Amino acid sequence: MPSINAEPDLSVEVAGIRFRTPLIAASGTFGYGTEYLDVADYDAIGGIAVKGLYLAPREGAPPPRIWETPSGMLNAIGLQEVGIERFVEEKMPGLRELGVAILVNICGSTLEEYAELAGILDDVEGVSGIEMNISCPNVHQGGILFGCDPLMAASVTEAVRARTSLPVIPKLTPNVTDIGVVARAVEAAGASAISLINTIPAMAIDVETRKPRLANVVGGLSGPAIRPIAVRLVHQARQAVRIPILGIGGITNHEDALEFILAGASAVQIGTMSFVDPSVWKKTRDGLADYCRRHRVASLSSLTGELVADVKAVPQGW
Amino acid sequence: MKRDESAALVHRESLSPDAFLLHFESETLSRSFLPGQFTMLRVPDRSDLLLRRPYSFCDSRPENGSFSLLVKIAGKGTKALTELPIGGRVDCLGPLGSSFRLPDDARKPVVVAGGVGIAPFVALCRLLAKRGLTATVLLGGRSAHDLYLRSDFDALGMNVRTSTEDGTHGHRGRVTDLLAKALEEDVPMELYSCGPTPMLLRVAAMARERGIPHQVSLERRMGCGMGCCLGCVVYTRTESGGDYLRSCTEGPVFDAETVVWERDPYPL
Repeated sequence: MPSINAEPDLSVEVAGIRFRTPLIAASGTFGYGTEYLDVADYDAIGGIAVKGLYLAPREGAPPPRIWETPSGMLNAIGLQEVGIERFVEEKMPGLRELGVAILVNICGSTLEEYAELAGILDDVEGVSGIEMNISCPNVHQGGILFGCDPLMAASVTEAVRARTSLPVIPKLTPNVTDIGVVARAVEAAGASAISLINTIPAMAIDVETRKPRLANVVGGLSGPAIRPIAVRLVHQARQAVRIPILGIGGITNHEDALEFILAGASAVQIGTMSFVDPSVWKKTRDGLADYCRRHRVASLSSLTGELVADVKAVPQGW
Repeated sequence: MKRDESAALVHRESLSPDAFLLHFESETLSRSFLPGQFTMLRVPDRSDLLLRRPYSFCDSRPENGSFSLLVKIAGKGTKALTELPIGGRVDCLGPLGSSFRLPDDARKPVVVAGGVGIAPFVALCRLLAKRGLTATVLLGGRSAHDLYLRSDFDALGMNVRTSTEDGTHGHRGRVTDLLAKALEEDVPMELYSCGPTPMLLRVAAMARERGIPHQVSLERRMGCGMGCCLGCVVYTRTESGGDYLRSCTEGPVFDAETVVWERDPYPL
């Protein structure tokens, strides 16, 4: 048993990718990696999932694109992005210098587009893994349409798998009846790990004008409001597959991150809270280290899936 | 360099029934922002207010290590901020965004502002005054109490003209009537505007007609202020045709000629 003063090991390895901390910036919330250099402690960040990329640049959805809801944020950005070519030329050099694992999030309207992106990225220096966005609620083709159907999710995973030797990580939507079915389908198709959850399709209305708050009418909900749903889905996915899970959904601090880890996540992603408080990375990293010291845990990775199912004796007070 | 500073409220001036000038203490921010830039502000311990809110820097007193924000209550975020007790702290991320480019000396600066749109111009006029320039400041509102901070512009030696829709102060009518009159002087000028979209549209049209350079500050709903959420975009003409640019990063100050107003969803 390690001494209480020993520095716990917070690094994790997921699908062959080493993350120096288990905290990953969620796609669509951290730009192309360098935007927060002035204000965030990058040493606390283990990896960055970049803004979703298509083959070609995209204009995105018309504004208004965001709205605040109770403990949540509604968005319909519609994947405004620079396209793979500009990303590789203009954004990768800066990303490589950060010294963190880089997950390149890809999106397409067709299976072939995903495959082509994977093929391109296979040759790009510094890419740690490919996160496949098959769960965006704000695009009219591809996105969530692939992620809601286990057969399509499997086909697109297989197509990407065939074109790259990099780890392939489908990002799943919560908008399914049984997350286990989709998780098993992509695992069988060659996924190296899975990310979950993407935002939950949601909507808000201004009753004075009777108009939707977002130009796209429906958007995706993120933030603390969705966390218990996300923890449940990670827990259920953990029962269904053996591949590692990156847990996502409303994480604001180390306790939230630990919920996901105990439910079965090997690492977690933080998105909305990084908008709110750029120091979330440092605070969460320090909080995890402190937790490990208090609980005499030498390596954080040993906590993955260590949920104690016995609920006969639970602590008082809430 | 951007920083996230915890700043204490040191003074609150009531300007009208629903508008306040709030002075915050921050040595760094009071010295580092440029006129037109903004801060993303968070009232801690208000979990019902998840996202930060953007506010233009209004003015600064570097000798006191303080800066001020003009805040009009428009929703729960602004309300919480105006209810902050003296000594209460907020998290201020900034300085963010683009700033006003200063006029070349051959042109007369003219500021056109509606209501709280006056906020970024105190700092701008302070800079102009330092350079020995006098701006014409056209200030419009519904009523006299919507003409915020006009004594600040007087004190800076600016040439202030006012308009109110109800005639309680200055010209009875719109601020663009004052602009039309100023344009009759026919001297080379440069326009700076901020305010409600219908006003900005008219100012932009008048400037375009006469080929007058026009910088506009556009406030949009923002999620992060750091260029990452892409929530605050404004459609603009670019070299490649057109694109949604971020009002937090490429803006909030835009060259008005590049803004594609027809695609702007805020004609309120």
